Amino acid sequence: MKRKLIGMALALVLAMGTLAGCGSKTETAEGNAGTAKGDTALTLWSIATESDSFNRAYTQAIADFEAANPGVKVVHETFENESYKTKIKSAVAANELPDLFYTWGGGFSKAFVESGKVLAIDGYFTDEYKAELPQAALSYATYDGKLYGSTYTTPVSALFYNRKMFEENGIPVPTTWDEWMAANRAFLDKGITPIGVSVKDTWVLAMTHDALTLKSAGPEKVAAALTEGSQSYDDPDFLASAGKIKELVDMGAFISGATGLSNDEASALFYNGTVPMYLSGSWMGGSIVTDAPNPEDFDVIPVPVLSGNAQSTDFMGGAVDTLMVAAGTKNPDLAGKAVFELTRGISKYAYLDGAGIAAWEKNYDESGINPITKKLADYAAEATSFTMWFDTLMDADDAGEYLALLQGLYVGNISPEEFVKAMAAQLDK
Amino acid sequence: MDKVRKNKTAIILFMLPAVVLFAGIIIVPIFMSGYFSLFKWDGMTEGAFIGLGNYVELFTSKTSGFPKTVQNALLLAVLSVFVQLPISLGLALLLAKGVKGEKFFMAVFFVPVLISTVVIGQLWMKIYNPQYGIINTALHAMGLGAYARTWLGEQETALFAVFVPILWQYVGYHMLLLYAGIKAIPTELKEAARIDGATEGQISRFVLIPMLKPVIRICVIFAVTGSLKAFDLIYVLTGGGPAHASEVPSTLMVSMIFGRNRYGFGSSIAMFIIFLCFFFAISIKKMFKTEVE
Repeated sequence: MKRKLIGMALALVLAMGTLAGCGSKTETAEGNAGTAKGDTALTLWSIATESDSFNRAYTQAIADFEAANPGVKVVHETFENESYKTKIKSAVAANELPDLFYTWGGGFSKAFVESGKVLAIDGYFTDEYKAELPQAALSYATYDGKLYGSTYTTPVSALFYNRKMFEENGIPVPTTWDEWMAANRAFLDKGITPIGVSVKDTWVLAMTHDALTLKSAGPEKVAAALTEGSQSYDDPDFLASAGKIKELVDMGAFISGATGLSNDEASALFYNGTVPMYLSGSWMGGSIVTDAPNPEDFDVIPVPVLSGNAQSTDFMGGAVDTLMVAAGTKNPDLAGKAVFELTRGISKYAYLDGAGIAAWEKNYDESGINPITKKLADYAAEATSFTMWFDTLMDADDAGEYLALLQGLYVGNISPEEFVKAMAAQLDK
Repeated sequence: MDKVRKNKTAIILFMLPAVVLFAGIIIVPIFMSGYFSLFKWDGMTEGAFIGLGNYVELFTSKTSGFPKTVQNALLLAVLSVFVQLPISLGLALLLAKGVKGEKFFMAVFFVPVLISTVVIGQLWMKIYNPQYGIINTALHAMGLGAYARTWLGEQETALFAVFVPILWQYVGYHMLLLYAGIKAIPTELKEAARIDGATEGQISRFVLIPMLKPVIRICVIFAVTGSLKAFDLIYVLTGGGPAHASEVPSTLMVSMIFGRNRYGFGSSIAMFIIFLCFFFAISIKKMFKTEVE
């Protein structure tokens, strides 16, 4: 009898141990966020890992904010980009968002806002901030007329090129589509593949296609087709840009093996002078300085215009990097203030580092900035319109279909006509 | 001791921790996936009940290409059973015979099983690299440059290019199972056969392989179910691309759930993978049983 009792007692202890193991997890997670007595802690999640070019800007902005607000501590936790996309979604679903978190504006965060887990911060957007941050920059953080986040950078995509390769081969830098095609042909005649791209990381190909579509259909038509549903995607202007991609593929303008190369592998071929052109976002300006052996050889131009619907000052891009406040935060007032203070600080320090184009007003000395980033900042300042990259602008399901269809178009599984028809069908769903 | 075994309370108490863990980690999630698969749900906001709508879409939607992924997975299963397992069996028979350096070869063949799959993926990515990969370099060196291609980037080759490392990685695993099985067969049987005048080949064919049947059955089940849920290497090497050419059900499921916020649709894919795994595991068991009788 005694033995039996001992056995049962042991089993009980074991069972309790397992259950206790499950229970204590959340406690320690909360415990980690705590700091010294009397301090208010705000937890911030971002993708500015130590190897990220924005890391220094985040750190400096946080230091400034803590100095200006004694007794407040910002706990900055960083995650790798791709895994963060999964993490943030599960955090929203599980109601475990930190006080402040990085996210992508537009379609990506739409479901977050709709789920009611994000705090509307109109009340904290004071006149002081309004004077320094243009309203246009916040369009992707605004849902149903309410403001849910603040931004720090306005990236744009443009055509980066190797000036030295153009000069050595006596090829003029293109400003129109026809000149661009002529340049491609001239490079091909000299045995040089003109354009670098990655189809494996489909967003790179998408950036090229997005830019051509914008320059063919114009910003209003793109917005009408992709977000408002008041314009069918099955339209000659959209067909034109899909056709241009096919034309470029068929003439061999894109590097061979692009379907198997990642963006890192493909852009390395641009930095080392194997291919003369690469269409990418403004962050490439910073990467050229760190990764190319001769950064002074490189330059940048706006993507050439395809039709009268668009101008050379219409740009793909816009402020999509957003910091948001969780609805469940214990200090909404402090977090609401922090979101603007931090984005203002990051905007400044990231621009000075050459990491990104400042979204906030530049009321400081900017003479030491690398010429490509400076040029891109000027483009952004003079831009007549910004259109967000399609895969961010559309909601996640449409974006996934878009990228899959683009791959199909690139490898020749579907024709440009089938591409626009399939896009129209997906957007109508 | 017998007393304890007959005591129902003790049995329940002792089983409780394992049952709770097993149910919490395996049984409950399966039922939850089944439940979610009936919804059109993005994982965050309120879902809408659509009955079997997701399952209908699985088989009718052209763009998601689910039937093709099942076909790819089944092809991998066939290749595992008819290419990978014979190689493993051959190696196991050879090593069990007592080759010089038996232990060394065992270790060599087993190393790929131990290395992290992501590392193997990176390794093979370098092997397949169109610019400096060893395959294309070798082809160019032999004057066969015309056969050099972007192995992971072309639709015709991508599927087989990802299958090769998957098959290669687990040869050592099955070999180890079979090797242990052979070693467990009493040596008297082999000796008796030898005295009766059987050659080495005949011993393998008529003595060892029939005795190995239970182990082979396990290997076949592992190979088939492993193929149906193959994910990691494909995800690292191609991510299912280009244009779905190397997509399998599990990569499609991940891209649907995490890439496109379609938790409901992804759950229906998960249910289908579970169904296929059970179906094949049970039917393989049945097949081997009828053969024995």
